[in-house]
Amino acid sequence: MTDIAPNTIKETAPLRPFGIAPAACMACGTCSAGCPITGMEGFDPRKIVRMILEGRDEELVASKLPWLCTLCGKCEHACPMGINIVNMVRAARGLVDRDAVPGQIHKGVELCLETGNNIGLPGEDFTFIIEDVGTEVSETEGFEDFVPPIDKEGASLLHTLHNKLVNTQNEDLVHWWKIFHAAREDFTMTSENWEGVNWGLFSGDDESMRIIVGRIVEHMENYKIKHLMYPE
Amino acid sequence: MATRSGLEKWYPEFFTKYKAFTVFDLLVDYIKEGRITLDKTMFTEKIAYHDPCNYGRKSEEKFGHGYYEEPRWILSQFVENWVDLYPAGANGYCCGGGGGTMLTPFKEVRSHYSRKKVEQIRRVEPDMIVVPCHSCHGQIKQALSEHKMAIPVKYLWEIVAEALVVE
Repeated sequence: MTDIAPNTIKETAPLRPFGIAPAACMACGTCSAGCPITGMEGFDPRKIVRMILEGRDEELVASKLPWLCTLCGKCEHACPMGINIVNMVRAARGLVDRDAVPGQIHKGVELCLETGNNIGLPGEDFTFIIEDVGTEVSETEGFEDFVPPIDKEGASLLHTLHNKLVNTQNEDLVHWWKIFHAAREDFTMTSENWEGVNWGLFSGDDESMRIIVGRIVEHMENYKIKHLMYPE
Repeated sequence: MATRSGLEKWYPEFFTKYKAFTVFDLLVDYIKEGRITLDKTMFTEKIAYHDPCNYGRKSEEKFGHGYYEEPRWILSQFVENWVDLYPAGANGYCCGGGGGTMLTPFKEVRSHYSRKKVEQIRRVEPDMIVVPCHSCHGQIKQALSEHKMAIPVKYLWEIVAEALVVE
């Protein structure tokens, strides 16, 4: 593992809007009382804050603790001092060697950077799925003239997709399409870089996150789209 | 939330050129402008709404506005019998699948986390759970099946689509 200087997390994690530094922690444990997994496999928000304040960054980063947290923010919502617990956990995640990030989080980011979506779905498969599900919608009463729009220049709204809708939940692609059709919304999806979610948020990887957000800006510019629908 | 915070952080000029909408903004606009009409007789069962952390606490923190009222307003337009879980809003419990944890191998911790959500659901005994988040959707479905509770989980926009009055 790369050497991590003590105090890296507390000095680099963004503060909350109140601007209170982590050192203000009173070790009161209110965070731990609010967290549903306190006590599970050594997880405890209060102890995580102590580790960070004691400069035990390497120990925290090498543990699985940062990945057990759901970043839900219930701990810091309850924190009487307004400490940036969630940002510190995310910063710890960002210090983990990328090949040591557990599960699919970083693999998804890598796939997204390479292929334009977190599951590495080839373009022709994407188009096939969209057209196939689009045909099903057009066989429904009231939606006979529905055609799923892809790469439509000058559209009013950009609609990106959560990868699982194109993967295992094809049946859930149709809901927004039906709403858009009923509302006469001039929307479009894109054939490339259609991914709507950004796992750089979860992996603590700002650089990849910025690139993936940048693709949405490019879509808006390239296709002269007027509005964006936040995918999540 | 990732896209919005990324745009604000790295592409602030985006907002001078384009308008951006959350799922709630769009649904509220479509309903208020009369662009969609919803069948008020479609859902008579008891529907419980779950607040995702990202649209609640996290949006409040990052963008100065938590989306608590909007989904409830949308539900009120066509669902007579919707209820809150308790605690709800900013004090609500995460489904257990936030922060990308559904993509990690730590399934046991995630299941343990979800017991809080399951307890909340048990207290209300709804016929359906409605969520506006893909992670919450997956995680709550999984948790309910682990607890052998046969309650359907649907997306907010899914029930809106089902209630659409189309000519």
